[in-house]
Amino acid sequence: MQRRAFIQLSSFLSGGWVVAQLVPLPVFAADDPICFQPSPLIKLCSDGKIIVYVYKQEMGQGVQTSLPIIVAEEMEADPKQVIAEALPYSASSGFNYSTGGSTSILREFMPLRKAGAAAREMLIKAAANEWGISVDNCRAQKSRVINTTTNQSIAFKDLIAKASALPIPKDPVLKNYKDFTVIGKPGVKKNNIRDIVTGKLKYGLDFRVPNMLFAVIVRCPVMGGKVASWDKQSVATIDGIVELFEMKEMGDQLETRSGVAIVANTRWAALRAQKSLQVQLNYPAGANEKSSATYFAEQATRLQKAPDMIYNEKGAAVKDMPQPDGEWITASYQIPFVAHAAMEPLNCIADFSNGKFTLWGGFQNPGKTASVATKFFGLTSKDIFINLMPLGGGFGRRLSADYSAEAMQVAYQIKRPVQLMFTREDDMKFDNYRPASSHILSAKLGADKKPADWLHKIAIAPVADYLLGMKGNNNWLAMEAEGGSMGDMYYAIPSLRSAVSRTPSPLVEGWWRAVNFSYNNVVIECFIDELAKKAGVDPVEYRLSLLKNMPARKIKDGTLFDPARLAAVVELAAEKIDWNKKRGAGKGVGIACCFYNHAKAYTAHAFEVSVSKTKKIKILRAVVATDVGLVIDPDGFANQVEGGFVWGLSAVLKSEITLANGAVQQSSFFDFQVARMPDVPALEIYVIPSNAEPGGAGETSVPSVIPGLMNAIAAATGVRVRELPLKNKGYTI
Amino acid sequence: MPEYQLTINGKSQPVEAPADMPLLWVLRDVLDLTGTKYGCGVGSCGACTVLINGKPIRSCQYTAAASVGKTVTTIEGLSEEGTHVVQQAWMEINVPQCGYCQAGQIMTSVALLQTFPQPTDEQIDEAMQGLVCRCGTYARIKKAIHKAAELGNK
Repeated sequence: MQRRAFIQLSSFLSGGWVVAQLVPLPVFAADDPICFQPSPLIKLCSDGKIIVYVYKQEMGQGVQTSLPIIVAEEMEADPKQVIAEALPYSASSGFNYSTGGSTSILREFMPLRKAGAAAREMLIKAAANEWGISVDNCRAQKSRVINTTTNQSIAFKDLIAKASALPIPKDPVLKNYKDFTVIGKPGVKKNNIRDIVTGKLKYGLDFRVPNMLFAVIVRCPVMGGKVASWDKQSVATIDGIVELFEMKEMGDQLETRSGVAIVANTRWAALRAQKSLQVQLNYPAGANEKSSATYFAEQATRLQKAPDMIYNEKGAAVKDMPQPDGEWITASYQIPFVAHAAMEPLNCIADFSNGKFTLWGGFQNPGKTASVATKFFGLTSKDIFINLMPLGGGFGRRLSADYSAEAMQVAYQIKRPVQLMFTREDDMKFDNYRPASSHILSAKLGADKKPADWLHKIAIAPVADYLLGMKGNNNWLAMEAEGGSMGDMYYAIPSLRSAVSRTPSPLVEGWWRAVNFSYNNVVIECFIDELAKKAGVDPVEYRLSLLKNMPARKIKDGTLFDPARLAAVVELAAEKIDWNKKRGAGKGVGIACCFYNHAKAYTAHAFEVSVSKTKKIKILRAVVATDVGLVIDPDGFANQVEGGFVWGLSAVLKSEITLANGAVQQSSFFDFQVARMPDVPALEIYVIPSNAEPGGAGETSVPSVIPGLMNAIAAATGVRVRELPLKNKGYTI
Repeated sequence: MPEYQLTINGKSQPVEAPADMPLLWVLRDVLDLTGTKYGCGVGSCGACTVLINGKPIRSCQYTAAASVGKTVTTIEGLSEEGTHVVQQAWMEINVPQCGYCQAGQIMTSVALLQTFPQPTDEQIDEAMQGLVCRCGTYARIKKAIHKAAELGNK
């Protein structure tokens, strides 16, 4: 017997909890389970499975573990029965698949709670109808509905058919936080952990499709350079080469280079050919003379002139450049380009047949590939289907669409499925880098020793120049200003000005874990320490005096900022590091804090260090105090905070990308250095329990690591370092 | 193309591969054993670590020819379902984030525990310093190695 099943869908597109609609499903075999969807995000089946469709991408931050917990909680489902499935990309779904900015839980919390609660109410109603009683005499627990009078119960799976016929509640009643039994409880393991430890998890680079070829690209190492010609004879002895052809630059927002594609029957043949192929290149005048030194010199010069944009100005606004009247305290900071260097190098499988693209790979923003990369071929987002694979690290790099666009260009040319791989060298040399920036900070202290006037000037190229195609649009300079991502100054300073100037970047830039907090928060937190020292006030006291007794207020982007929560993490971190303890010569403590506005997180890091005469740093203790609101999966959260710590340590101690003759000098992990196990001390994590709206962890756990450690080193040595990474000043760990 | 008789995960089998093809690509692209990961190809990250006669070796720096007459163990050969004591410890400590580097971390740890069944933190640092985890799970890896030592002793 065949049976036509219907799924019931209710849509929360465009933020609303709107219409219910019936969508016919394909005909099922008789023994297929009956399923229904009280929301596009969850599917309940008569075999007991509860599927949560996760359209945010799993890149290690644990969305496939944490988001199902939210559904299980509201549904009163047994968490073991709740399975996460990645939702393939569809432009018509209306979902925002873009995964970044530590916002997945923040954005999904309420929609998933509503979806789970709706399912629970429908299951309870179905059971109540079965028993002929009121829903008030029923409750749900561990995937069953219980008759509270008789203690009879029915399993969710036996209620699916009846529940699916019921109307979807428009306004389901959510649980009280105090009744939570799953959210915020310890002991949850990553959902795919067994597949990871047995090597079964397939990342993009592990995937194969029938008839697939392998491609690598020889790219022009200098931006704006073009391939003039190449010598086919230089790879003539390599078996298995299918085709060599020119790769065209794909324009704004993609920012791919001119190059030569090598397509081969085996990856090894393609890799060998990439090493051997002789390519002649032409450079625009001056392009191959740029270096890190020339770029930083350009920024330093630019900072001496009037800015392109004044981002924030209040009080008796300071002049553009402080007067050298002896009262102003001024410091210059310099932050380098850095690479993402995710462990899985960029890759993408593309196929072009019947006028449409099919892709397989790891993406943080498949929508960009669908809407932007298709344009190059005169197509639209309707002409592409994207299979989303787990990411071997994202950190912002896979928000870009250059790697998929290049794979599409290759597939378009050869009319066969092809896997494009970036070698580690390619991944390192053709990253979309965290911007390099230079900063001047200047302040004048009032009679109370607090900053009375404050000036922060930044020279930078906004990420939007390249990745959003906004070259020359000064509005986007705002994203690079002050505390980061449109946030404004979190300390109470009566008169201040922050200003940004554009210095066009010699490298493509991109969003990097902790984005502009990774420079602005760093320099502000270091400079506050410098001011505290000048004022002769303890750095913890100084911060608290600028945060305490200030009302919560809306900042520029509309986010509510509560200075009391930031003060609380500073106090907690200080207490836990035993701030006031007497320490001997060569030892010091340092602290820094960060309000991460777009992920609603308050964080403070404190370090105790000793630094030898030969600048050998020993981190004796490291402490973090965090308040991110309600925590969904405490161990997953802790893992993110530990990871953010390591990310910050790499940036402060070792990592930088440098430019010489217009090209990136680093090529692998021996020259782009990152923190390794011996560099990383134990991190003590203190979480402030909170029922505030849940914020994010991935990015928010990074920024204050960097100035926290810099401040501790300055305290231990009496010497303030204002350039990163510290290795360039002779410091080792 | 030359043919090599290789013993991989306890199974002896003939494998055809170019003489200069690194073992990494033989495993991944010829034998479809994709649990061993490509991270850098130059021995700077350790993601591709496998065991050759029980010793941790960067498979990107090794060839099929050199593997003849030796036993090669990959993550797939440790245990099908994650029952190996190191895999068990990894799950108990909830180590991975993205997971991409973990095969190399696990294989290196297996070899370490062969040499030092109860390793100190310093011995762990020494054995693991060649490996990169960009997610930053080092503290958990260290904890899991101690846990595996404890489980292995039971």
